[in-house]
Amino acid sequence: MIEVSHLTKRYGAHVAVDDISFTVEDGCIYGLLGPNGAGKSTTMNVITGYLSPSSGAVIVDGHDIQQEPRAAKACIGYMPEIPPLYMDMSVQEYLDFVAQLKGERKKAARAADVARACERTGLTGMGRRLIRNLSKGYRQRVGLAAALLGDPKVIILDEPTVGLDPAQMIEIRELIHELGQRHTVILSSHILSEVQAICDRVLIISGGKLVAQGTPEELAARLAARGVISATAQGTKAAVLAAAAAVPGLTEVRVTAEKGDEVSFTAASTDGADHRAALSAALAAAGCPVLSLTSQQMSLEDVFLQLTENDPALAQEPEAPAESGKEAAPETPADSGETAAPEAPQAQEEPSAPETHSEEEGEAQ
Amino acid sequence: MNAIFKRETRAYFTGMTGYVVIGVMLAFIGLYYAANCLVYGTPDFSIVLYSTTLIMLFVLPALSMRSFADERRNKTDQLLLTSPVTIPQIVLGKFFAQLAVFAVPVLVACVMPLILTAFGTVLLAGAYATMLAYFLLGAACIAVGTFISVLTENQIIAYLASFGLLLIAYMMEDIQTLFTTGNTLALIIFSIALAVIAALIGLACKSLTIGCGVFCGGAVLLIVLFQLRPAWLLTGLNSVLDALALFGPFRNFVSGMFSVSAIVYYLSVTALFLFLTGQALERRRWN
Repeated sequence: MIEVSHLTKRYGAHVAVDDISFTVEDGCIYGLLGPNGAGKSTTMNVITGYLSPSSGAVIVDGHDIQQEPRAAKACIGYMPEIPPLYMDMSVQEYLDFVAQLKGERKKAARAADVARACERTGLTGMGRRLIRNLSKGYRQRVGLAAALLGDPKVIILDEPTVGLDPAQMIEIRELIHELGQRHTVILSSHILSEVQAICDRVLIISGGKLVAQGTPEELAARLAARGVISATAQGTKAAVLAAAAAVPGLTEVRVTAEKGDEVSFTAASTDGADHRAALSAALAAAGCPVLSLTSQQMSLEDVFLQLTENDPALAQEPEAPAESGKEAAPETPADSGETAAPEAPQAQEEPSAPETHSEEEGEAQ
Repeated sequence: MNAIFKRETRAYFTGMTGYVVIGVMLAFIGLYYAANCLVYGTPDFSIVLYSTTLIMLFVLPALSMRSFADERRNKTDQLLLTSPVTIPQIVLGKFFAQLAVFAVPVLVACVMPLILTAFGTVLLAGAYATMLAYFLLGAACIAVGTFISVLTENQIIAYLASFGLLLIAYMMEDIQTLFTTGNTLALIIFSIALAVIAALIGLACKSLTIGCGVFCGGAVLLIVLFQLRPAWLLTGLNSVLDALALFGPFRNFVSGMFSVSAIVYYLSVTALFLFLTGQALERRRWN
């Protein structure tokens, strides 16, 4: 189990990680998700003891990484973003060296450990190859094999699939999935589908803050509850938008595509109720035949974009998450809901201008 | 530590560095040995070692330049620092690996005085005592180079900085002769040093007041000393410069003295710089 409490890391004036708290339960695969520069790698580097936190604490399996670094580090297998490989060594030599670093003294036990790690990462038969001559994918595997050595409780992988071809990506994902059954795995990624596919729990980091956490389904459900409808109707853009905006309970009407006289748009429900029937009726009444109408499930990607887009708004009121401390994480989605709210009038204002026209048109009809 | 030591030593010999260092050292020791002992017929082997101390300046920074700079550039320090090993183990592992490479030419040189015994009486005790001092001097140079290497991620800068620092230490006795006269000069030099120290302390504490306070306090002390005991400043300066003359104590051995203080001096310099290396490595985790 890893407990990260109020972790902050500053580089001079720049705050890379800002008061992050979370707990990693045993036997789960955790995904650290965030755009580039969000603080994922820094968080991992602090957890593994490569960097010292400016404030806050990391406790790995009961050992504080600052107070008892050796005991804590012994529980962790870490593969950084760039696998720390010595180019002048062969795969076998390198893995043997890492096994020694992890404190395995007996040569036979080391050989068995190395062989097992090679087998799991598909490196069998590559032992004598120089790391210098390996392709990016194989170097990644060597880094992964090194992280597996010594059978650590926690395996931390920083962007494990970056730079791999699709087949290798699938292989590595399967391997991570398999690892999740015996180890606690924390991986970082900016690829959403990857996290959605393999992680049991997701932590979304943006601008150094933890903006949301939960299972991928939970996170998606949290925003999907707001009920987004996507529809295509025939008619002028102004007429369609006006009709949609006039439906009570719908906001954020946004045109997604315009083709000929077909207008596609999305609209969000403010109260979570299903407004498809009302929308359909309203469009029909406005003389805009409905071509398609679906209730959209929000993917993790939408959640992610919504949360990370709102970041500047969050930054304007940094007191809110800071004060609530550990509870900050579950509350922030609520925050993001609030911060999304000021956007809503803007979205409404745009169609509000043609709204008057449509009323006139309605009267004319 | 053992694992790091073995890996580092092997790395010196999978690349060219180890062979070049050993080859150059042996070539010069051999050259002076042949010229002085075999051709000219001196029974004193110390003179050979004395002549080759200059070669250390060129060769040992090549050994130490990659120790930490390279790790940092390739990000392999992430492996070492996230493994369950302590920082002293990392520093010592790397230091002993360099020492092992340097020990090869020294060990080969150990055979040379023995060969001379075939031609006449040789001062074996003196030769081997000098050899010990020579080895410890090399160890101190390596420690200095290792410390420089941890400060940068560029090997060439590490090499040049170590070379420059060792060159100053080598020439320190000549530099000292410039300062034998003039208490005022000593005062000026101490004032400059004080200003630098005060600036560093001020920067470290991020406080102008503390920096200025240290400078003012130190300046008052210096001026009082200068008024009351002007000679102390000069002697003080000379002893400071003495301590920086890394190659000085070695000469005691060459002139046939066994100097315990020299051995203690070399061991302390080595320990000090290895300690600083560890501190610098630890410090890097914080920013």
